Amino acid sequence: MLVTWRYRRRRSLIQNFDPRAWIIFYLCFMGVTISFWDVRILAVLFAVALGVVLSSGISWREMRRAWLFIGGFVVYFSLFTFLTGRGGVEFYTEEHVIRNLQASFTLFGWQPTLHITVERTFYAMSMLVRVFSLASMTILIPYSFNPAQYGVTFRGLGLPDKFAYAMDLTMRFVPTYARDFQITMDAQRARGYEIEKLRGGLLSQVRKLAPLIVPVTIQAIAGSEDIIDAMDLRAFGVQPRTWLEELHYHARDRVLIALGVGVFLFSLALSIYGVGSFWIPEALKALPLL
Amino acid sequence: MNRKLLGVILTLIFVFALFLGLVYIGGNMLGVERLQTGERPLLRFAFVGIGLVAAFLVYAFTKENKAWAVGTREVVYMAIGAALYAVFSYLFNGTVFVVPSVSQVALRPAISIPMFFGYAFGPVVGFFTGAVGNMVGDALTGFGLYPQWSVGNGLIGFIAGMAMLFTDKKKSMNTVLVIGAVLAALATLFFFLFRNVPNALFFAPDQGIFGDQPISLLAGLSIVVGFILVLIVRFVFGKNIDVAAAVTWGMLGNLIGLGFAAISDIWINGYPPAVAIVGEFLPSAGPNLIFAAILVPILVGAYAALQRQTGR
Repeated sequence: MLVTWRYRRRRSLIQNFDPRAWIIFYLCFMGVTISFWDVRILAVLFAVALGVVLSSGISWREMRRAWLFIGGFVVYFSLFTFLTGRGGVEFYTEEHVIRNLQASFTLFGWQPTLHITVERTFYAMSMLVRVFSLASMTILIPYSFNPAQYGVTFRGLGLPDKFAYAMDLTMRFVPTYARDFQITMDAQRARGYEIEKLRGGLLSQVRKLAPLIVPVTIQAIAGSEDIIDAMDLRAFGVQPRTWLEELHYHARDRVLIALGVGVFLFSLALSIYGVGSFWIPEALKALPLL
Repeated sequence: MNRKLLGVILTLIFVFALFLGLVYIGGNMLGVERLQTGERPLLRFAFVGIGLVAAFLVYAFTKENKAWAVGTREVVYMAIGAALYAVFSYLFNGTVFVVPSVSQVALRPAISIPMFFGYAFGPVVGFFTGAVGNMVGDALTGFGLYPQWSVGNGLIGFIAGMAMLFTDKKKSMNTVLVIGAVLAALATLFFFLFRNVPNALFFAPDQGIFGDQPISLLAGLSIVVGFILVLIVRFVFGKNIDVAAAVTWGMLGNLIGLGFAAISDIWINGYPPAVAIVGEFLPSAGPNLIFAAILVPILVGAYAALQRQTGR
């Protein structure tokens, strides 16, 4: 049995647009975001992402788990980057100190010191905003796209029929296999298998992952016979395909695509000429060097 | 000449023209340093040209082969492979389960999926599994999209599937082993020449490591360890030709696919060649060989049992 993503029809900004137009806009948004490290530009993109999230009509309860996961991930990376100050070393060569915090105790002769510098602070902020923008735009997609339209969306984006249908099936299988994996893991745990306590050297650790990977894979292949039969019975691939749902571009979709592609090309040109790289305010450069 | 062949030729010419145009407009007219060709522009174009001609020749000589056919079965297997690869890479990327890494070698068992699907169901299924699975997996994690690594992962499955094109499995397998040995030896030579290059793929924020620690001996030599494991599988399972061939072809796919991704980072991210090979290629391709040598035989064996049981 297939498990589905939590799609519902909602009053939301995303669902006002054609899914093809939104995918193109999404890819352009990703392209623009990864072109920049300047926190001022990233803040604008962050505002756009936040606006899309707030207007998505998805309740906190529905998205809670996804947000906790992403939140933990983002904070983990930006916080540790900030504390150790080693994440952004390729972006700056000198650091300006805001404050040096020194612990009042020593551990085995080592006194923990935290250098709060302008560069580290701005790097951590850029990182936080950047990853949040990318991740939040991505997790909205399964909640907002009608599974019945996956295939025709990819067809409309230019893929051949068979590959569009394969993309459709991929999107549908992902949550199903995630559930199968969970069931398999529970079953193996009931037999005393513990993934948290893999022991032994590298080779035996790899071998011990087989009880999870192999059953899920083989069950998926064995279970696919029903789907293959159903598709064959409907003469899949005999003639050019027609799709049950149809998509039509409206004026607003064309505007969205033009906007996305235009901004993407513009920011690509900017970033090739070095605009929008890592930035800190001029005024703070007067602070003493580390 | 039929229309399909003409279409393939036109596509290849278009790719070549696109590459020329990018370098000419981007590198020479706009003066973007990253796109400039350096001292031997002819040599680089020659490589691109040879690659495209090779792709065309492989297609032209084998276009009647059933390995290229895409029917209902292949469409469904493509989707299964891509979805499984996406789910496994999401689960084992170190954020969901904290699987330990042994001396900079993180456990990435998902890589056995594109190799197995490529070998069992052909190059087209393999390419889709690797490329789309990697894309969806990255999207699930929220890392964003890296097209060159998706294509590289696709090539892993594609090359693993090319085993289907050869009728004499044993002979082709031995050729593949020799090519693999040469590639692995070259990469290891780079490791000994540039010992201090950081391992760009090893992140451990709680220890203050952001891909900037010098590559460990195990990560650097993992490609040798992996190759020896592949050799062992090849000769221990010499009778079971499917297991041996799946592992050998998977190894070649892994070397070429990830080699492609890492080397394209020289132009895309502006890495020096030593960083691309020692910092990216070795720590990704080497451990993958180890997982492949262990997990792919188990998958091939389990699939053979399924085939016997259902009579397909």
